[in-house]
Amino acid sequence: MNVKKIKKINYIFNPKSIAVVGASDKELTVGNGLIKNLESEGERKLFYVNPNDNEVLGRETYKKISHIKSKIDLVIIIVHAGLIPQIIKECCAKKVGGILVISNGFSEAGEEGKKLEKEITTMASKADIPLIGPNCLGVINTWADLNASFSPINPQKGDIALLSQSGSMVDAILDISAEESFGFSKVISYGNEADLTLEDFLLYLKNDKETKVIALYFEAIKNGQGFMEAVREVSKYKPVVAIKAGKGAQGQKAATTHTGALSTDYEIYKAALKQSGAIQVDSLEEMLDVIEVLDFQPRCENNIAIITNGGGLGVLATDYCEEMKINLPELENKTIRLMEKEESMEKVLTKRNPLDIIGDAVSARYEAGIRSLLEQENISGLLIMQSMQIMTEPLENAKIIVELNKKFPKKAIVCCFAGKKLVAEAIEYLEKNKIPNYADPYRAVNALNNLIKRK
Amino acid sequence: MEILSFEETRKLLLKYKIPFCKTEIFNSKEKALAYVKKIGFPIALKIHSRTIFHKSEIGGVKVGINNEEEFSVAWDEMKQNTELRNIEGILVQEMVSGNEIAIGMKRDPQFGPVLMVGLGGIFIEVLKDVAFRIAPMEKSEAIKMIKEIKGYKLLEGYRNREGVNVDKLAMLLVNLSKLSIKEKNILSIDFNPVMGNNKNVLVADFRLTI
Repeated sequence: MNVKKIKKINYIFNPKSIAVVGASDKELTVGNGLIKNLESEGERKLFYVNPNDNEVLGRETYKKISHIKSKIDLVIIIVHAGLIPQIIKECCAKKVGGILVISNGFSEAGEEGKKLEKEITTMASKADIPLIGPNCLGVINTWADLNASFSPINPQKGDIALLSQSGSMVDAILDISAEESFGFSKVISYGNEADLTLEDFLLYLKNDKETKVIALYFEAIKNGQGFMEAVREVSKYKPVVAIKAGKGAQGQKAATTHTGALSTDYEIYKAALKQSGAIQVDSLEEMLDVIEVLDFQPRCENNIAIITNGGGLGVLATDYCEEMKINLPELENKTIRLMEKEESMEKVLTKRNPLDIIGDAVSARYEAGIRSLLEQENISGLLIMQSMQIMTEPLENAKIIVELNKKFPKKAIVCCFAGKKLVAEAIEYLEKNKIPNYADPYRAVNALNNLIKRK
Repeated sequence: MEILSFEETRKLLLKYKIPFCKTEIFNSKEKALAYVKKIGFPIALKIHSRTIFHKSEIGGVKVGINNEEEFSVAWDEMKQNTELRNIEGILVQEMVSGNEIAIGMKRDPQFGPVLMVGLGGIFIEVLKDVAFRIAPMEKSEAIKMIKEIKGYKLLEGYRNREGVNVDKLAMLLVNLSKLSIKEKNILSIDFNPVMGNNKNVLVADFRLTI
């Protein structure tokens, strides 16, 4: 991927002018949904191309791309596949900045579609115009107030870039995370990768200042080695969290060897992701848990401490740590002496990691415990657990945690306020302040595990 | 798809520094016996054929042969078992003690050569305890791969059991990676078992297909 290509992709993500071919007034259509999204945000020149209607959303329409006098940065195409080669031809003649083809009916639809796809890709590449799609939901750049997609929801601004082969997964992820405290930088539904490929987008996002974490959903990869190379390169700078759908066992068919029989497609993808440094997740819930923790908290070393007011929670978490090979270092004498100085810690007779500050812990004890643990140099991350008991002060605890997280910004904190009704307010406070909370100890430990930098 | 001849297999293993148990191929019993005397008992006899994929199923493998008498019986039996078949010859091989390891390679249309390592014998049959990587792979990656095997503790040596020289196992995998990248006509590779002890890691059974 060269610098020139990245610059060209910028036309698609930061367009000053957009033409939509297939813009429509007809409700509940892609051509209508997409332009409503475009109109909802941002200030830019919009041109609607529609040979049948004179007006769309109150704007005068153009019969053809070539009728538009001004320069066009991005052309979005939402018409029948068969009509598209002619439109691309006009785009090339007009030297537009970039093209986004939403329409389906291309290589995913059989031989005829394959030919069409090749035709439009060849034209665009010859004219040196980057093309996204076809067969996709579109793209969103929250930081440029651009929603060039027919997603039913507008994501809030944030640090996460979402790359998805499937458009419907984008819709699902954006809706699920609509009320979370994290947001999205770019959303790219990359479709058939006729011209711009997954690898191009990964490398583009590597240099994207607004993107801190990359979430990737895919079903199949077109170029395995190229993909691995791109992930390896990007992972040096930002985490790539990937979910692969389709655990198909095609590799097993007609296998006469152990390698053949055991190396299912899914196993191969898992190996490829691991080897290239991606974080592989197995469910949508895990995907959201992991992108959140990576967005909110710094990466840490494999030295974690647990503090809890409930023995049970602590035991569960310790089990999971063992399972995930998370190291729980001993408390140093210095740390123990620090705790001994605190009046609030008097009742805590056993001072070790995991640190059980006992059920009747009020906020002062949480504060003393957390602070002492964070003071210990080799403790790189903290799991703070809380079960609601009659004297527990969840909001106070949350405030203390936020303060101490600011004081020790290099150390990672993940919370497990195990509950729902009684801790809702506290959790909201935590998450607003970028401390991730998971009600289930397993999810909390798993999130923490993904913060750990392992060699 | 057919199996690579013994001579070509040997050439490739030597070229890529993939160590294997002392092995020679014979059609003459007398010459075979002379070789056996040279390498010493116990030995194994195995047929090698371009077309027989499951040689043990037709009585084409006999291990733990301890003396001349056993050798003579086994040789004749094997000759008889394979009389009507197109075999290249019978391999005479030294027996090496150690842990059984299974190693393999197959070509994936998306990613290229996929490498596999696991504990051999029942571990691979029943527990499917294996790890995968995509070639090319460096030694550090090979070590990670080996450590991913759930039964890694057995390779380290468990209780009184001897372990495996992990460094040599890693080098074998790296060399397999190199071979897979360069020798594109080789479709798949199965080394099962590879015998590993503290000193050496040697391929005992090989099957390369073209």
